[in-house]
Amino acid sequence: MTASRLGVVVAVVVVVAVLAALPLFSSDVIIQFGINALLLAVLAQGWNIIGGYTGYASFGNSVFYGLGSYGVAIAMVQWNLPFGVGMIFGAALAVAFAFLLGVPVLRLKGHYFAIATLGLAQVMSAIVSNIGIAGQNIGLVLPPLNNDHLFYELSLGLLVIATLTVFWLTRSRFGFGLIAIRENEEGASVMGVNTTLYKVLAFALSGVFTALAGGIHAYWITFLDPESAFDISLNVKMIIMAVFGGPGTVLGPVLGAFVLSAVSEILSSKVTNLAGLFFGVVVVAAVVLMPRGVADVMRQFRRTGWRYFAENLRAHRI
Amino acid sequence: MSAILEVKNVTRRFAGLVAVSDISFTLGKNEILGVIGPNGAGKTTLVSLISGTLRPTSGEIFFEGSRITHLAAYRRARLGIGRTFQIMRPFPGLSVLDNVAVGALFGHGSGESDLAKAREKARAQLDVVGLGKFASQRAEELGGPNRKRLELAKALAMQPKVLLCDEVMAGLNLVEIDEVIEVLRKIRASGISILVIEHVIKAIKKLSDRLLVLHHGNKIADGPPDAVLSNSEVIEAYLGSRRA
Amino acid sequence: MDLLAQVLINGVLLGGLYAVMALGLALVWGVLNIVNLAHGAFIMLGAYLAWHLYTYLGIDPFLGLPVTAIIMFCVGYALQRGLLNLVVRAPMFNTLLITFGLEVVLTYLAQLAFSADFRTINPPYAGNSIALGPLVVPLARLMAFGVAVVLTVGVWVFLLRTKLGRAIRATAQNLVAARLYGVEPRHLYAVTFGIGIGLAGAAGCLYGTVSQINPYIGATLTAKCFAISIIGGLDNPLGVLVGGLVLGIIESLTVLYVGATFGDVASFGILVLVLIVRPSGLLGKTT
Repeated sequence: MTASRLGVVVAVVVVVAVLAALPLFSSDVIIQFGINALLLAVLAQGWNIIGGYTGYASFGNSVFYGLGSYGVAIAMVQWNLPFGVGMIFGAALAVAFAFLLGVPVLRLKGHYFAIATLGLAQVMSAIVSNIGIAGQNIGLVLPPLNNDHLFYELSLGLLVIATLTVFWLTRSRFGFGLIAIRENEEGASVMGVNTTLYKVLAFALSGVFTALAGGIHAYWITFLDPESAFDISLNVKMIIMAVFGGPGTVLGPVLGAFVLSAVSEILSSKVTNLAGLFFGVVVVAAVVLMPRGVADVMRQFRRTGWRYFAENLRAHRI
Repeated sequence: MSAILEVKNVTRRFAGLVAVSDISFTLGKNEILGVIGPNGAGKTTLVSLISGTLRPTSGEIFFEGSRITHLAAYRRARLGIGRTFQIMRPFPGLSVLDNVAVGALFGHGSGESDLAKAREKARAQLDVVGLGKFASQRAEELGGPNRKRLELAKALAMQPKVLLCDEVMAGLNLVEIDEVIEVLRKIRASGISILVIEHVIKAIKKLSDRLLVLHHGNKIADGPPDAVLSNSEVIEAYLGSRRA
Repeated sequence: MDLLAQVLINGVLLGGLYAVMALGLALVWGVLNIVNLAHGAFIMLGAYLAWHLYTYLGIDPFLGLPVTAIIMFCVGYALQRGLLNLVVRAPMFNTLLITFGLEVVLTYLAQLAFSADFRTINPPYAGNSIALGPLVVPLARLMAFGVAVVLTVGVWVFLLRTKLGRAIRATAQNLVAARLYGVEPRHLYAVTFGIGIGLAGAAGCLYGTVSQINPYIGATLTAKCFAISIIGGLDNPLGVLVGGLVLGIIESLTVLYVGATFGDVASFGILVLVLIVRPSGLLGKTT
C-alpha cells in the first residue's frame, strides 16, 4: 500500500472513531442531527450504487425507504417480532421489489427510467395508504425506544457498511461491469457483461441499504404514514446529496450529505424562513458551477484552480 | 475448411426498409473474410445480427455448429464472438487500460475475475495493437486512429474465436493501414477467424482470403478477391449508372 | 348510466385542462431535451398572476389569459437566456437538478409573497352550469376546456406551419441546423422555453378558475404533467391532448368505480405501464 493510500485509510478510521464517540460529549440536539445526517448519508450512498456507478438515476429509491420503514413497522406492530427481524423483512421486501419491477423498468433509458421510477413511487404510496395491515392513511405507531445513542451508533454502523460496499465495488468485477454499463451499455453487453442481471442486482443492493435506513428511521421516530414514508422529496434529497458530493466516488455522497445537512441545519436555525430558499439557490449554483460534485472540485482544484468553474461553464453552455 | 460461423437466409427488416435480404455465407476457421459494398448495403447491420445487437426478421445463424440466432449479445460475447464498432463505443470515463480490461473480465468463457490479472492481460493486448503508452489516459482523450486501435484491443481482450471488424481502417493513412493489416494478420495467425468490413478496396484485397460483396442488402458475389473484383455486377454496383 | 355519462363529461373537461397544463412541459422536453421539474411551480405562478390581475385590476381571467401568458413568456425567456442556457450541454441529469432547485426557490418565494392561504379566482359566472339533459356541465370548466383545445391546436399549427416553429423543431434535431435557419441558438432556446412557460402561465390561469391554488401545488402538478406527456408522447402536441384526455377520463372513472383515493394510483399506474410497454407514448413515433 502506498503512503498516501495508508494516509487515507488512517484518516478514515480516525474520523469513524471520532464520529462513534461523538454522542458521549454532545447534546441531544446534536445527536439527533447526527442520526439524520448519517441516515441521509446512507441513502445518498445507496443511491450512488444505482445512480452514480451504474448510471441509472432512480427516483424510486423512496419506495425502498418506504418498504423498509413499513417492513419494520408491520413486523413489530402487527406481528410482534423483534426489530432485527423487522429489518430483515424490510430488506427482503426491497429486494423483491427490485427484482419484480426492476426488470421491466431498467430496460428504459435515461430520463424515462427516472420518470418510471417516479411513477412507481407515487403508485406505491397510493397503494400503501389503502392497505389495512399498514394502517391505511393513518399509518402505524411503533413501540417506543428512548435511546438516541443506540440509533446513532446503528446509523453510523450502517453507513460504514454501505461505504465499504461501495469501496468493494470499485475493486470488484461486478463493480467494473456496473461502471462499463454506465459508460456505454451497448458496448458493455457486446463485451460479455450481462447487463440486465447486473442492473437488477445494483438496484437491489441500492434498495437494501435504503430500506435498512428506512427501518432505523421508523423505529427511531416511532411513527410513520404513507406520505412521509414514500416521500419523493426524500428521494430528491438523496440524489442532490450524492450528486453534490460526487456521484461514482466512494466518499462523495457521504461528504455531500454531511455538508448539505449542516448547511441546511445552520440556515434553518439562523434564518428560518429563508432556509429552504437558500437550499434551492445552493443547488442551482452547484449544478452550474460544479456539475461533477464536490469530490471532483477537491480533486481538480489543486491542478486548475479557479479556472475549474469557468471551464465547466464553457463546456456546458450554448 | 470447416465453418466456424454460418449465416443462413438471414433477412432483417426495419419497418418497411429491408436492410439485409436473404443472405447466406460461411466464415471458415482461421479465414479472413472481407465484406465490401457501397454505403447502405447492409454491412454493419449484418455484423450487428451476428454479434447479437439485432435479431434477424428471418433466417438462422450458427456458431461452431450451434444455433445462436436469438441468443443475447452478452452470451455471444462469452461464446467467443468479438466485434469492433464503426461508430466507436469506448467507455469514455475509464482509462484506456480499463477499457480493455472489461474485455478480459467478461469475455470468452467466464472471463478473468481478478482485477489485477485482467489489467495485466489488458496491457498485453494494448501492446499488440501499439497503444501501450496510452494505457493510463482516459479513453475520451484518444484521437481517431488510436480509438480504432482501442476498439481492436477491447475485442481481442475477450479472447474471441471470431472477430468482426467494422471499418477499422476508415480515416487512416497508408502507413497506418499497413500497420492494421499486419496486426490483423498476426491475429489470424494466433487462431482467430476474422470478418472484415472495409471500404478501402486495395487493403482488403491484400488482406482477405475471400470477399463477400453486398448491395442493397443482397449478396451479389462471394469468392476469391481477384475473381470478385473483376465481376461485372460488382463493378456496376460500385460505379452505378455511369456505365451506360 | 347518467352517473357514468356525467363522470365521462367531467373526465373530458378535466382532460382538456390537463392537456394544456402538460403542453409546455412536453414542448420544452421534446424540443430542448430539458426536463423541467419546476413546470408545476410556473403553473402555480401563472395562477397567482391571474388572481392578482382579477382581484386588483378586475381583469376577467379568461380575457386576461393572454396577458398572463405574455408575462410568463418573458419570465421564461429571461430564465433560459440567463440561467438554463448555461447547462444545456451538460448531462441531461443536470437540468433535472437545476430545475428542481428552481422549484424549491419558486415555491418558497411564492410562500413568502402570497402566504400559504388557499385562493380561487371567482368571476361571477364561475358557479354557473349548462344543463345537457340530466347532465351538468360547469361553465368555467367548459370554457377552460375550450381554451385548452384552442391552445393545443394553436401550438400544433405554430410548430408545423410557421418558420419560427420549424426552426424550433430543427433545433430539436441539432443546433447546427438551427443556425441554418438564420436564428441564433441561444435566442431560439430562450424563445422555446418562453413559450413553454407562457403555456404554463395560461394553464395556471385556467386552473385557478376551477380549483384552489396555494404555493405548494407545483410538485403534484409537475408529476401529473409528466404522466400526461409520457402517455401522449413527446413528438406531437396532439399527443398531449390525447394524453390529457386519457388521464382525465381514467382518473374520473377510477374515482367513481374504485374509490376516491385511488385516482393517483390510476394516473401513475398508467404512466408506468405506458413506459414499460410503449415508451414513445400513445401518439409518439416508435424508432
